[in-house]
Amino acid sequence: MIERISSLRNFFIDEKKHRVYRQKPLDPMLLASKFKRNNIPDIDRAVIRLKYMLDNEIAVVLKNEKIALMRTIPNPPEIFTEDEINTIKATHHIHERGEVCNINVDYSLLLDKGFNEKRREITESIKKFEKYGDVSSVHYLEQLLSILDSVEALSGRYKLEAEKVGNKVVAESFSHIPANPPATFLQALQMLRLLHFTMWCGNNYHNTLGRFDQYMFKYLKSDLDRGLLDYDGALELVEEFFLSLNRDSDLYPGMQQGDNGQSLVLGGLNEDGTDSYNMLSEICLKASLELKLIDPKINLRVSKNTPIERYILGTQLTKQGLGFPQYSNDDVVIDGLINLGYDKSDAYNYVVAACWEFIIPGRGMDIPNIDALSFVKAVEDAAFDKLESCKNFDEFFCFVKENINNQVNKICNDTKNVYIFPAPFISLMMEGCVENAKDISYGNRYNNFGIHGTGISTAVDSLAAIKKYVFETNEISSKTLIAALKNNFTGYEEIRNKLRYSAPKFGNDDEYADSIAVLLLNSFAESLENKKNDRGGIYRPGTGSAMYYIWHSKDMPATPDGRDKGEEFPANYSPSMFARLNGPVSIIRSFTKPDLKKVINGGPLTLELHNTVFRTPEAVSKVALLVKSFMDLGGHQLQLNSVNRDILLDAQKNPEKHRNLIVRVWGWSGYFTELSEEYQDHIIKRTELSL
Amino acid sequence: MSTGLIFDIKEFAVYDGPGIRQTIFLKGCPLRCSWCHNPEGQKMCPELMVSKASCISCGRCKEVCDNEKCITCGKCIHQCPLNLRKICGQHISAEELAGYIKEKGGYYAAYGGGVTFSGGEPLMQPEFLLETLYLLAGIHKAIETSGYANNETFRSVISMTDYVMMDIKLVDSHLHMKYTGVDNAIILENLASLCSGNKKFSVRIPVIPGVNDNESNFCDVAELIKNAPMLERVELLPYHKTAGAKYEMVNRNYDPMFDVNRPVFISQKIFSQYGIRSVVL
Repeated sequence: MIERISSLRNFFIDEKKHRVYRQKPLDPMLLASKFKRNNIPDIDRAVIRLKYMLDNEIAVVLKNEKIALMRTIPNPPEIFTEDEINTIKATHHIHERGEVCNINVDYSLLLDKGFNEKRREITESIKKFEKYGDVSSVHYLEQLLSILDSVEALSGRYKLEAEKVGNKVVAESFSHIPANPPATFLQALQMLRLLHFTMWCGNNYHNTLGRFDQYMFKYLKSDLDRGLLDYDGALELVEEFFLSLNRDSDLYPGMQQGDNGQSLVLGGLNEDGTDSYNMLSEICLKASLELKLIDPKINLRVSKNTPIERYILGTQLTKQGLGFPQYSNDDVVIDGLINLGYDKSDAYNYVVAACWEFIIPGRGMDIPNIDALSFVKAVEDAAFDKLESCKNFDEFFCFVKENINNQVNKICNDTKNVYIFPAPFISLMMEGCVENAKDISYGNRYNNFGIHGTGISTAVDSLAAIKKYVFETNEISSKTLIAALKNNFTGYEEIRNKLRYSAPKFGNDDEYADSIAVLLLNSFAESLENKKNDRGGIYRPGTGSAMYYIWHSKDMPATPDGRDKGEEFPANYSPSMFARLNGPVSIIRSFTKPDLKKVINGGPLTLELHNTVFRTPEAVSKVALLVKSFMDLGGHQLQLNSVNRDILLDAQKNPEKHRNLIVRVWGWSGYFTELSEEYQDHIIKRTELSL
Repeated sequence: MSTGLIFDIKEFAVYDGPGIRQTIFLKGCPLRCSWCHNPEGQKMCPELMVSKASCISCGRCKEVCDNEKCITCGKCIHQCPLNLRKICGQHISAEELAGYIKEKGGYYAAYGGGVTFSGGEPLMQPEFLLETLYLLAGIHKAIETSGYANNETFRSVISMTDYVMMDIKLVDSHLHMKYTGVDNAIILENLASLCSGNKKFSVRIPVIPGVNDNESNFCDVAELIKNAPMLERVELLPYHKTAGAKYEMVNRNYDPMFDVNRPVFISQKIFSQYGIRSVVL
């Protein structure tokens, strides 16, 4: 990292000095009450709010930066009062905060055109709608123009400020963009920063960055061809851009700090089978490696022909303990998306949403996290209601399947009539919105709903235990099992331990449990087949859990896998946290047995490896092979952790949750939770040093 | 068909030979190295192993036990709500073990790896080991050994493997006796046959502070192996304080004969002067 970047990193990340420029927080209801009083239509509210933000932003330019823009207004005000929201909720389903979120816009629709050209397009569209006398469409398009005005006015203020502080580079960029398309890679990065900044100002969130290495590459290439930039110069600029994503991120809404959806996708197969990974993809990996920042969150698209060197570069990133790159397997994901009805070219262009859901840039208004199925509830309800009357496992499983269907039907019913707040600026970067004068909130080419599935492993393990002990060995009668569960195993301790530690587990490369996982995921997929939502889309089953796993586990009684009442399920597509498994190879072999193309909404297998497994370059290349093996065996998505101090500390406090946490001690590996405290402390200390 | 005693099977071993490997740990060792980090691998019989760190002292294990001294009956294992107890050491036939290894063999082969036999000292169960190796045709087989076995056993096992990782702790026989409990003559004899043989191998040195972390020991080792055509490299494994972590689990005290707090001296330069590649693991 060159000196200029490290001093900027220090300024923004370590010392957070830019925060002194922040204005006082706005009254969240500053605009909403006026809107209500004057009965302002929703689209106008969104426009006025965004313009308010842009018009009141103060330009701040640092002397040594090349890519400017920082938020000074902490919070975009709301556009509805609480009363209004409640009224809407009475007749509509509101997803999360109601705003457009978690999609990936096609930045090139503004970036490659420049605002002048975009204005021309909008004006054409206005003429067309004027001809039909379509007043409301004309009004919508005029609103879009006025947003462009405010973005340009802000850019103008940045240009003046840059001149004032003597920053010629930034002044030069803003004298060109956004009116014109960028003339250089640097200007393209500045303009992308401006577009992304504006999205956040509009209160849209989980604003993903998509295939940055694809839509930005032509700007880099042009500079390289003209000799304006070399590899190191490009790396410097990408680092500065990545840094800019961490400036205001504390202001972005999310479940917790860092959950801001700034995901970025690198590489991937082209439709003709060639590889899209380019020099910029590599630069991004290197920039992330040097910066060691949580944003952007890197996703790496791989396939069977991905060279091992790329996995190695990815593994070096994993070694830093930030939890990315997250890998997705084109060989599985693309087919899965095509099977769901996505056009081939769109499927090949997939990106990930904020976390891991697969979505389509510029054309997808999918809500890939609209709700979640609880696999565990499906099993538990069947156990409580039907187990005692079942003669065999197949009969019992039919009831589980019925419960899955019932839950899914309820979810489909509950997610009707979704109301999404208008997002006019985002609409400028989504297919057809300008041509049709139709805001993105009304939908786009794809309007599918994704449904997560929580507690897969808990459900599989529970079913495996029932199959084995109740129906095969008859060691535990159905009556005893139900009584044990209802009493949270009090008085049934030995049964609990048997279920918990001796029963077959998903993740041990054991056909007994793994075949049940296949059944369960297939049942989920079948339950959603041919179902349509009321926005013209379908439902997509997935292996993710998001926060639902906590909500679903909180009140869940003890389960037949020996899980205690209220104990958390593992997150996403991961094995039980208390079963001691054979190791990562068995986990990978088990978790690639289900047909993951059928449950392709997204949701990764998470593997935690201790950072000592990454110690030598040779070992790093072996971890890379482990990742590759998951893909080779048909895995869809993988997230790897080099385990850090926080996890170790948590493991010390809550050993039950970290049974599979492996640490390399000295020439041997052991289970962290089995070490005595003294040694645990020692390893924690060592982790501290290795960071 | 012979039966052996193993105490662990580890997946995804990255420091136990080429590629991704599964490592089989054979129980029983003739050495008693003062720095041994696998105390449960020493005795040639099953042992109760208890992870005391997270024990909540609920006392259930004691309720079912009528014995004054542990007879490894295993009754207490299933009483523990936290699964902290296990019988370390499992009897297994060569056929069964080979079957297990082969079942996963394809996976490891696809990633340039195979299986490694470690311990304990795998050469302590030669019949079982040889029979298992014999059943593993087509799988890349490696062994991690102290080299403490008669030369005939050593040679016959080596001939059945593809890669050897052999420990050389100390060249000085007096010190070797002091710190490991055995004489190293037989080890050095086996090393010599490895050096003149046609099997790829590496030499591992556990680098122990104040015991063998000095130039003279490194030079002595280098002298012994400098002309070995099949030597891949020397692997230096610096001692770490956590080596004693498992003693408590097998109800023993860790009482090393050296200062565990002393920093370890490592010199790769000495080996490179002899033209020997080395790596610190």
